Amino acid sequence: MTNRRPWYATVLMYTALAAFLLFLGFPLLWLLSASFKSTGELNSLAVNLIPAEWDFTNYTSALERQNLLPAAGNSLLVSIATMIITVLLSMPMAYALARLKGRLRAAGTVWILTSQVFPTILIIIPLFLVLRSINLNDTLFGLILVYVTFTLPFTLWMLQGYVAAIPAELEEAGEMDGASRITILRTIILPLLAPGLVATAMFTFVSAWNEFFLALVLLQSPELYTLPIALRSFLGAEGQTQLGPLAAGAILATIPSLIIFGILQKKLTGGMLAGAVKG
Amino acid sequence: MKSIRGIGAIAFAGVAILALSSCAQGSASNGGGDGEDGAITLEFQSLSDQPATQAAVKSIVDDWNAENPDVQVEIVQAGWDGTFDKLITQFTGGTAPDIIHYEASSIVSFAADGYLADLTDLIDEELKSDISEGIWESVTHDDQIIAYPSTLQSYMVFANADLLEAAGFEIPSGDTMTWEQLQEIAKATTAGGTYGVGWGLASPTATMMSLSLGFDGGYFSGEGADASIEVGENELAVPELIHEMAYTDKTIEPTSLTQSGSDVLASFYGGKVAMTVQGSFQATNIANDAPEGFNWVALPPLEGSEGAVQAANPQTYSVNIDSEYVEESADFLNFLMSGDNLAEIAYADALIPSSGAARTAVEELAADNPAWTQVLASGEGLVGPPFLKVEKYTEWKDTVATPAFQQYLADQITSEQLATQLSDGWADIAG
Repeated sequence: MTNRRPWYATVLMYTALAAFLLFLGFPLLWLLSASFKSTGELNSLAVNLIPAEWDFTNYTSALERQNLLPAAGNSLLVSIATMIITVLLSMPMAYALARLKGRLRAAGTVWILTSQVFPTILIIIPLFLVLRSINLNDTLFGLILVYVTFTLPFTLWMLQGYVAAIPAELEEAGEMDGASRITILRTIILPLLAPGLVATAMFTFVSAWNEFFLALVLLQSPELYTLPIALRSFLGAEGQTQLGPLAAGAILATIPSLIIFGILQKKLTGGMLAGAVKG
Repeated sequence: MKSIRGIGAIAFAGVAILALSSCAQGSASNGGGDGEDGAITLEFQSLSDQPATQAAVKSIVDDWNAENPDVQVEIVQAGWDGTFDKLITQFTGGTAPDIIHYEASSIVSFAADGYLADLTDLIDEELKSDISEGIWESVTHDDQIIAYPSTLQSYMVFANADLLEAAGFEIPSGDTMTWEQLQEIAKATTAGGTYGVGWGLASPTATMMSLSLGFDGGYFSGEGADASIEVGENELAVPELIHEMAYTDKTIEPTSLTQSGSDVLASFYGGKVAMTVQGSFQATNIANDAPEGFNWVALPPLEGSEGAVQAANPQTYSVNIDSEYVEESADFLNFLMSGDNLAEIAYADALIPSSGAARTAVEELAADNPAWTQVLASGEGLVGPPFLKVEKYTEWKDTVATPAFQQYLADQITSEQLATQLSDGWADIAG
C-alpha cells in the first residue's frame, strides 16, 4: 500500500525547509561576509553579501591581537575536559536515577530541579570564595570543575530520559542469561544509550565552549582566558566594536564546534538506527 | 572489548587533560608581591581595548620598569565588558589587583564600599593643580580623592561640510554653537531624502544627563542614599529639543533614534544625514574610516542656556585599599599621568585628557586632524555631574530612565509623563 504525498505538500515542505535553513544560516553567512569586508565597506550603507573586495586583514588582525590562538587552546582544553567528565559522571548517575525506586530517586530529582533555580549571579561570589579557599581560583581546572557542576544537573535530566526509554525487559533478558549488572550495563545499556551520550557530549561541549561570565569572573590571568573572553575584547568602551576582526574571530571560533559536531553527528544518527527490539 | 578500550582511551584522555589543566595555574591572584631579588611587582588591571592604546600603555609601563627596577609593574589586560561583576568578585574575594582602571560613574560605588585607597595626599601637586576642580569632583567621595581621572569624552556634532555648504551654510566657527543654530542647520539640510541629523540614541540616558547640564539640568541633588531628584524645566530642555527636532521639525533621521552612535556613522558617510551627534572619540574613527574625499568637520561644542557644559565621567585609575603598596602604586600613577604619557593614551583612544599639560601635548600629536581642536575645546566645559554621587544611580538609569527616555523619543509619552516616570521611578528605587 503506497501513500503518495500530493505535489503541493512536497513544495510547501521544501519551501518551509529552505526558509528555516535561511533563517538559521543567514546570520552565519552575514558574519562570514563581514569577516572579509574592509572597514570602509563595513561602514558603508551598501547591503551586499559578497564583499566588493576580499579583505583578509581581519583574520590576520584577529589572530595577532587579543591572544586568540592561546585562548582557543584554553577553550578546547576546558570544553573537552568538561565534556568527558560530565559524560563519565552522568552515565552511571542517570542510570541509577532512571532505574532506582524510592526516596533516593525522589531526592535526586528534587536536587536536580533545585540546582537549576539559582541564577549564576547569585552564587558567583560564594563560588569564587570556595574556589579561592582550595586554591583553584584562576586555574583552568577550577573552571572545569565549575562547568561540570553547572552542566551536570541538566545532562543528568536529559540522559535519564534516554535510560528510561530503554525497555527494562532487555536487562531482564540479560539477567536470565546470567549476565552481571556490569555486563548488562556495558553490553546492553551502553550501546543503546549512545545517542543520548552523544547528545549530552555535544550539549556539554557547546555550553563550555560558549560560556563567558563564569570564565570572566573566575579567571584573572590573561594567559588563561578562554575564547569568549578574548572575543569580547574586540568590544570596547562606549560601545566601540571592531566589527571586522570580531567577525573573523567569531568565524574561527565556530570551527572547532563544527568539527566536533561533524564527528559526533554520525554517532548520533548511527545510534538512533541501532534498534534493540524488533517488532 | 573494542568499546571498553574506547572508554579507557577517553578516560585516559580525560585524566591527561585534567593533569594539564591543573598545571595551568594563573599568576594574577592576590595582587602583586615581592620578587626574589627584593623588587616588588604591582598588578595593573588595564581595560584599554584599542591596539594603539594598549601599545601606548605598554610603552609607558616599560619606561617605568626600566627606570624603577625595585618597583615593577605588570599589566593584567582585561576588557570593559563585565568589569563591574569581575571587580565585585575580586574585591570580595581579596584578589583585586593593586591598580584598577575603570570609570568614575562605576568606581564610586566601590569607594562607598571601602575598597579604594584615599589618594588625596599621594597625588602629585602639579598634576592636582593642572586638572579642573569639576573633574576632581567627579572622583571625590566623602572628601577623599579615590581615583586619578585620566581621559574623558564629550558629545560633539560632526558635519558633512559639503552638505552644509550646499544648503548655503558657512561652517560655524565660533567657540560654541547654540541649539538654535543646530536646529537651523538641520532644517536647511533636510531635503531630498537627506536628514539634517542622525543621532544614535538607543541608550539615551548618558547623552541626556550630560547635555542637560548645559541648561543647569542636574536631575539630582544630595549625595549617597539621601539624594533626591527633580525633573523640571531645565532637566526637560534637552529631551524636548531633541523631540521637537524629531517630530515637529522632522530633521532627525527617525531610525537613528533606535541605533547606537556607531551604527549611525554609515548614514553619515553615505550622505544620508548631514550631521551626527557622537562621542568625541569618534573623531579619530571618522578620520580613519570615512570614505576617501569625504569632507567632514567637527562643529563647536553645543551651548545651552548655562554654557557649553557637559558631564565629566572620566576613565579612572584607582588603587586597591588592601594593596601592600598603595604609595608605590600612586607613584606609578603620577608617572602615568604626566603630560606626555597621558597625551599618548588619550590620543590613541581619541579621548580628551584630563590635565592641561596633556591637552597641550595632544594638540601637537593631533596637529593634522583639525577636529581635535573642537574636541579639546569641548573638554573645557566638562564638570562633575550630580549623578556621580548618587547611590543606585545605575539601577535608576537602567530600569527607569532608559526605558522612559526611549518611550519619549518614540513619541509614546509626553514630556510631563516622562518627568513623572523619572521622578516616581526614583522614589520607588530610593525607597
